[in-house]
Formats: sequence, structure tokens, C-alpha cells
Amino acid sequence: MTADRQAAANRRGASDPALRRGLTTRRGFLGAVGAAAGAAALAGCGIPGRGGNGIVTQADIDEYWHGRSGKGHINWANWPGYMEDDRSTIKAFTKETGISVTYKEAIQEAADWFGKIQAPLAANQSIGFDLMVVTNGIQFTELVELGYLAPLDHHRLPNFARYASAKAKNRAYDRNNIFSIPYVSGITGIAYNSKYVKEPITSIQQLFDPKYKGRVGMMSDSQELGNFGMLALGIDPEKSTEDDWKRAREVLRSQRDKGIVRKYYEQGYIDAVTKGDVWLTMAWSGDVYTLSSPDVKFVVPKEGGTIWSDCMMMPKTAANPVDAIRLMDWLYAPQNNAPLTEYINYVTPVPAVQDIIRKDAAEASAKDKPDLDRLATSPLVFPSPEEYAKLRTYRSLSNAEVPRYQKVFQTISQGA
Amino acid sequence: MTETQHAPLRDDPGRAEDAVPAIELAGVRKEYHAYGETVAAVQGVDLAIAQGEFFSLLGPSGCGKTTTMRMVAGFEEPTAGEVYLLGESVTGVPANRRDVNMVFQSYALFPHMSVFENVAFGLRRKRTPKAEITERVTEMLRIVDLTGRERRRPSELSGGQQQRVALARALVNRPRALLLDEPLGALDLKLRQAMQVELKRIQREVGITFVYVTHDQGEALTMSDRIAVMNDGLVEQLGTPREIYERPASKFVAGFIGTSNLLAGDAVESGGGTSVLKHGDGGRIEVGREFATGDKVELTVRPEKMQITADEPGDGLCRVHGKVSEVVYLGTSTNYNVTTDGGADVVVFVQNAMNAEDVARRGDTVWLSWEPQHSYVIGSAE
Amino acid sequence: MRRLRGALAPYLMILPGGLWMAVFFVVPLVFMFSVSLMTGNIIDGFKQTWHWQNYTDGFHTYGDKLVRSLWYGLLATVACIALAYPAAYWIAFKGGRRKSTYLFLLLLPFFVSFVLRTLAWKLVLTDNGPLLGPLRNHGLLPSDFHVLDSGFAVVSGLTYNFLPFMVLPIYVALERIDYRVIEASYDLYASRTQAFLRVVLPLSLPGVFAGVIMTFVPVASDYVNSEVLGGPNNVMIGHIIRTEYFDNSSYALASALSFSLMALLLVGIFAYARALGTEDVLEAAGR
Repeated sequence: MTADRQAAANRRGASDPALRRGLTTRRGFLGAVGAAAGAAALAGCGIPGRGGNGIVTQADIDEYWHGRSGKGHINWANWPGYMEDDRSTIKAFTKETGISVTYKEAIQEAADWFGKIQAPLAANQSIGFDLMVVTNGIQFTELVELGYLAPLDHHRLPNFARYASAKAKNRAYDRNNIFSIPYVSGITGIAYNSKYVKEPITSIQQLFDPKYKGRVGMMSDSQELGNFGMLALGIDPEKSTEDDWKRAREVLRSQRDKGIVRKYYEQGYIDAVTKGDVWLTMAWSGDVYTLSSPDVKFVVPKEGGTIWSDCMMMPKTAANPVDAIRLMDWLYAPQNNAPLTEYINYVTPVPAVQDIIRKDAAEASAKDKPDLDRLATSPLVFPSPEEYAKLRTYRSLSNAEVPRYQKVFQTISQGA
Repeated sequence: MTETQHAPLRDDPGRAEDAVPAIELAGVRKEYHAYGETVAAVQGVDLAIAQGEFFSLLGPSGCGKTTTMRMVAGFEEPTAGEVYLLGESVTGVPANRRDVNMVFQSYALFPHMSVFENVAFGLRRKRTPKAEITERVTEMLRIVDLTGRERRRPSELSGGQQQRVALARALVNRPRALLLDEPLGALDLKLRQAMQVELKRIQREVGITFVYVTHDQGEALTMSDRIAVMNDGLVEQLGTPREIYERPASKFVAGFIGTSNLLAGDAVESGGGTSVLKHGDGGRIEVGREFATGDKVELTVRPEKMQITADEPGDGLCRVHGKVSEVVYLGTSTNYNVTTDGGADVVVFVQNAMNAEDVARRGDTVWLSWEPQHSYVIGSAE
Repeated sequence: MRRLRGALAPYLMILPGGLWMAVFFVVPLVFMFSVSLMTGNIIDGFKQTWHWQNYTDGFHTYGDKLVRSLWYGLLATVACIALAYPAAYWIAFKGGRRKSTYLFLLLLPFFVSFVLRTLAWKLVLTDNGPLLGPLRNHGLLPSDFHVLDSGFAVVSGLTYNFLPFMVLPIYVALERIDYRVIEASYDLYASRTQAFLRVVLPLSLPGVFAGVIMTFVPVASDYVNSEVLGGPNNVMIGHIIRTEYFDNSSYALASALSFSLMALLLVGIFAYARALGTEDVLEAAGR
């Protein structure tokens, strides 16, 4: 869920995020060791579990918000490429509300971020941020399960209630949006380089075709990879069972062992498919949209793709949740969200933005008009209902299932 | 040290071959180029070193003695001239194919090998049969008195023992000649003196030509059959230790070898193959050469040849008058430093005989005298 | 008082380093070992069960990755020796007054960030890049030949990244050799080859020995190169430990894998030291 940030980072002339990631995880790894070591040393023998805190009642919500008031300043952690370079959206927010925002591109990878914040949250300490953006994946589930997130007071989210698309509300990963609302969503499908692939790509099966031996890229993320394995078998990942996982594993394993897979990518696939190291690969919609290379095309395969969401949420130790939730809601006003969507090129949770962009396009100069037209009509940014019907969501995993799921799929990209 | 009789290690070369020098240098020059300048380290050396000779190259550092030896060993090629080993030119023959071996200044033992392996190194390179290697190494270690130390590492040995390993390592190959580059320089005085005797004994025992490079004139005089005194890339004098010591051919040799008193005098009378020089008031020196009257003549006299007396010495002796400036008691002898009336600073050694008292005190005026044959004219100064 | 201080001085000197090691090495090590014998997960917590199951599980699932890591470590170490030795030799004996300049040049790439270096690698080695593209277009390479995402790329990357750890100790060992010892071997009838094999090489072996330890250990546990430059069949154990610890929060399994790796490396290094680190070997080489 990070490749768009890579693209954005590349636009700004930054280095390959895959490599940067290698470095940030190195640092993160050491941090995690230290954190875990500290926690366990305190515990003496064993590391206590922190599960079972994910159930929240209205009383809990009221208690959390009781007596809180705004402090006029928000610290926000987000991914690279998720905000205009001049931070104009933030400036507009500050101008309108008087609330200042310190914005940091502090999140490079979900697991890495989780590792950084886990220790202070476990100790009920501040992580230095009031607002953060986390993908609806395993780390999200862990944050919920461990009770690290502040429950949302929906009385404070009128714009969300009014403008959010149905697809942004009440998803399986966070029923009733108790902890989170989407910031932006993206589609996982197939990207291919038409310079090398001489047939239309329409099906996931083509990722398993031996004629593309050594030319296929898959994602190493166990959820993304598992989803495509299951979709290839006609299984809806959201409703999958453990047996389905194992069947999908066998398919993916044989794909790997036949030498069809060139590499399991975290983020670098877009570079590889552009250069022709791989010819077709699992990909995120925004990456391909941003790339705007005539050779590289993005398709949602007929078996279906997946849609995921990077969600806004607050750690329970946030210093200023009142202002943070105000910002969350403010972003759901279509006129506030439109400039952001024009910049990020992913699926916005606010469908009304499409009309605004159409209007912008009509009024735009000749130079900007084609871009805005393309954006306003792109199925990758504003999927049609038919398109949506093909998209599946991640399987929501219980705490007991997480390690089992990981064990099934993680081993594939690790060659086991 | 066992004194068992045994044959010299080198096969007896026979009389006819004896006439061929072990090493001969003919017009050898060596120039170096550095920083755009050409420096001649050796400026034309002619030498012939006989087989079985203990030959020393003596001189101060930078005189070209080490360069000369390295040309013999094959580490340097002469810029001009030829080097012959047993009559054959070795120009262009690399060090590893020259039948001479070297003992390095700091021994240059192989630190990773035992004493035995160090000594066996050359034999192994020559593919000598195993049994013979063991036999020859063992014998060589016996000669240098290191039996029982075969398994030691060089670092586990004393300086003197390392020295003997270096010697054995070279000698075991029975080379045409053994080149020794200041081999005793790293040893303390006592050990050095012991090793001088030891080297001489070993040389006699193995019968191999030794070329010994040193800046220590005492060492050269003690051990050598002949000495070449080098200075500024040239041989200043070639001769036996006695010749070199007693009849130095130049001011440099006189100054470099032992202590010499340098005196100058004006020729006042001459005839019959002799001259008489005047040196200060009452100073009268006879020399065995005729000089024109008024010539300024320089000569040397060894300190131990001079006598010191309060009264004027008898006729027939050379004499100068002066004043004692310092008396240094040295145990077996006493040194008297005397400033002559002619303005020369000389030193006189007097053996301390039984019950002898000091013959003079500081500040005394004395006469110095010596036999005329002990004056050596080294030139006339203008 | 002064005598007491004198007697304590050596212990006081080791105190900062010793404390450092105790706090940042021994304590975490003991802790990690205890974790490796726990059972559980991040949600339910880990309990000290003293079960060795993490080890058997680790070996069962990732045993071949362990072996591959050691194998890649060996290959990269050998490649490092092959590249480092001639370079170090040349600098030590032919470098003259510019020795330090040459050494600096050799280390220069390491002043450039890892990101830039590896990015450059990817640019150069990509399938249709400046190196492989023309070769393939001229039919000199099979169409499916590639360097990136292969074991060759991983080992090359490892070799490149750890080369200085090999060059420096070898250089130091060679530099310390007294040139007269080499002359002595010529004087004792050794040819250039023999002088090298019997004298220079054995005397530089301690440097090679140090270089091997300094290279092999970090190479075998490296996790970046296999990730960036390797494909599905080039995964190394370091990457797996990182993923297990970090992405999966499987602290116990990751600790067990770490300890297995450490044990294997220690056994390997000790065996190596026993086999090659003794003076007898040096002497045998000199014979």
C-alpha cells in the first residue's frame, strides 16, 4: 500500500524506496529488539500478551472523550507522497480552524511503524503523534486487538457520515468505524509492460503461465500474495478458511518452484516492470496511474482484485484527539478532499470529489485540463459499481488466525 | 663447543682452482636515480677476494660497502663493471641462482618456521633428498651450537642464537662465499665479542670465503685476513689489518681506524732520505722522506706508540712539547690528552703497570716522544 | 593508596569496555536465549516453557536457508579473498609513497551511501540496462539470462559490500612483512613464485585469517543484499530472522533462529581456527 508513495517520492527525486526501506527497517529492527528486550526484562519471565482489548462499548467511548478539549495543535504521521509538496491542504485547514499541524512522513512500512510505536503504547506512553495513517492489514488488527487505538466519537464526524462512500463505511476490518475512517483506498491488480507482453492481460491465471517464466513479479506481503493465490482458485479471500489458505499456498508454491516468479516485491516492482525486468506483476493502482508510462498498463483481473484502505486513526495516548478528529472530519468535506485526490491519484472515500474535479477540469487551463480530465474519468480513482463488484477486501483475521495465516503465506516469499 | 675434527664443508677445490679468486669485482659502479639526480653509491671498485679468505668491507655508513655486497649477492645489478664468482661473470644472474649466501643485518629469519625449517629452506629449494637435508641441517646446527633447538621459533631464541641460525641457514648450502651484512650490529658488546671469536672459528671449520661488511673497525681488525676500507664509493686502502692500522694510506683511513694523532710540522732540514720537521718550540720530528725546506708536512702517530716524560727525551727519538689538558683513568691504561706547543691536540695511552703512579697531572708541561718509524706521513699540507 | 590505585589500574581500564559489552551484548544475549525458549505469540503473550520446539521448527522450515546463508557466506568470502589479496599485495609492495591514497580509493565507495550504491547496481545490472542489454541484443546472452534477482547478484553484492573488511587486515599483514625476509628467500634459491608461496603467503595468512572472520560472519548473517538483489531462491536467514521478529512478531522463533545461526557460525569459526589458525599450518605452507 506504499507504492504510490514510492512514485511520489521518485517524482521528487528521492531514492528508491525499496532501498530506503532496507535502511529504515534496519533501524526499526534494532528498535524492536530494544523494545521487546525492555518489555521482557520488566516482565521477568515471559512476555505478557496484550490481546482482548479490542471490544469497545459506548460507555468506553464516552469515557474516553469525557472532559477533553482542543489544544490547537496536531502532530500527524503519514506516508511519503500522501500530501501535496507545499502542504496546501494542511495550510487550508490551519487557516480555516486556527489549528496548527506538524506533518511528518514518518511511516515507511506498516510493520516497521508498528514496531516503533508498539513499545511506548504498551507502556501507555505518547508516541509523539495524535493522528496516524495505517493500512487495514495485520498491523491494524493488532493495534485494535491490543487496545492501542482511541475509539472515535462519531458525533464529531458529521462530514464522514454525510459524504463518505458506502465502501468506506462499516468494513469488516473495523465494524462501525469504531477506530478508523479511510484516508484513501487503492486497488491491487496486475500491471504489465505491453512492450514485452503481446496479449491482453485479463486474468490472474496469466501470472501463473509458464510462458512468462522468470518474468512475473508477485508481492511479498502475505495478505496481498495470499489474496491472489485464493483469487486464482476462485476463492473469495474475505470468506476464506484455513484450508483455502493452504490450497492457495500450494498454487503459489508451485508457481515459485517452476521458476515463474522472478522476485517477490515489497515496493520495487514498478521500477522492474518499467525497465522490463519483469513483464507482468501484481501492482497497486495508484503506482501505475502516477507512472503514466504508455507501455505499462494496469488491469483488474476478471477473477477480481482487492481494495484496501489506508485509514486515519488516533493512538489512545494522543495528546490532542479533539483537534485530530476535527481534522479527520474536515478532510471529508468534498471541497477539502478534492485537491488531495488530484495529488494522490488513489481512490478517494468521498465520491462527491469527482464532480468537483470535473468542474475543475472544465475551468482548467489547456495545460492542466488533460490531466484533470483523465483523473475525473479514471476507473482507478473513481471505480464504477461494476468495477467495485470485482473488488474484494482483505480477510479480517482474528488474533488467533494471524500467526497461522502468516505461517502459511510468509514462507512462500521466503522460499520455504 | 666440541672440537671434533671434520673435513671442511666445501669440497677441496684443488690447487689450480685456488688461484681463481672466489669473488672478483672489476670496475664496478652503481648509480641511483632519485628526484632527478644521479647519485653514485659505488664509484668504481676493483677487488679480488681469495678463496677461504675472511675479507672485510669497512667504512662509515653510506660509503657504498653494503651496495657493493648487494651487487655480489645479486640484489642489485651494477651500472657498469662486472662481478665474477670463481672466475665466471654473474651479470644478469638473479640472486636465487647465485651460489653465494647472505647473513642479513637483522637476520631476516623466517618467523613462521622453526629453526630446523629455517636452516633447511635453501636445501629444500634445491630439492636436496630428505635424508641429506636432515643430516646436513643437524650437522650445521651442531657447528653453530644449536643442537636441541630445532623445533624452536626464531622469536623464542636470544639475539645471539638468532644470529647463529642466520649463519647456519646460509652456510648449510655450502656457498662459494658467505656475505655478512653487519651481522653483529644488533648484539650487545659482550655477545658481540664472543660472536667475533665464534665466527672466526666457524669460518675456519667450514673453510668458506667470508665477506664481512661492517662499520666497526675493531671487529674488522679482529677477524679479517684482509680489509678494504671504503669511503664515498671508493676503496681507500686494501690490506691486512696490521697494514691498515699501522700504515694508514690516507688521512681518512688514519682517522677511521683506531685513534690517531695528527701532527703537522715545517720541514727544516732534509737529506739522505730523511727530513726533520719543526713542531712548536723544541718539537723535532724525523720522517723517512725528503721534503723541501719550508714544506708543511702532515703525519700521524698512534697514541700507544708515544711516551710521556717530564724530562726531555734522549737523542734519536721524535719529540714534541706540550701541556696536559686532561687525564682519564681507564683501568688497564690511562689516557693523557695533551695540547702541544705546536697547537695540536693529541692523546697518549699509557699502560698501567704494577704500582705505577700517574706520570703526569693535569696542567703539567711534558715531553712526548716516539720512535721515528712510528711516524706516518699522510701528505704535505699547503 | 597509590599502590592500590596502581594495582587497580588495569581493571579500571577494562571497566568501560567491559560494562559496554555487558549491557549491550551479554544482557540482550541472555535475554534472547530465554526468549528462544518461550512459546506463544504477541497477542496472547510469550511464556517461558523451556521448549526447544522453536529450534526444531526453525530448522524444519528454514534449515535450507541457514545452509544457503553459510554457502553464500563462503562464496562471498572466497571472492573477497580473490579480489582483496592482489589489491592489498599491490598496495603494500608496489604502492610506494601513495599507499594511503590507494587504500583510500579502495574504501571510497563506502563513503557513498548504501542506497546510492545499490541503486546504481540496479541501474547497471537491470535486464535491458547498459551492461546486459547490448550483450543480449548481440546474441551473446540467452534471452532469459539475468543478473538481478539471482544468487550471483547476491554474492556479488555481499562481496562488494564486505571487501574492505578483507582488504584491510590482509594489507596490514603484508605491510608488516620485513622486505629483507623476502630477499633472504631469494638468496636461499627461492624463485619469485616460491618466495611468494613459502614466505609472503604464510606470513600474510594471519591477515587472511582475520579477514575471513571479519567477512564471513557478517556476510552469512546479512539480510539486505539478498532482499534487494536476490530472487525467491536466494533468501538468506538474516532476512528471515528480520521478518519473523519484526513483521510477524514471532520473537521466540526469531530468537531461536538467531541462536542457531550464531551457534553454526561459532562452530564454523572454531573449526576453521583449529584447522587453519595454528602455527603448524603456517610452517607447512613454508616448507
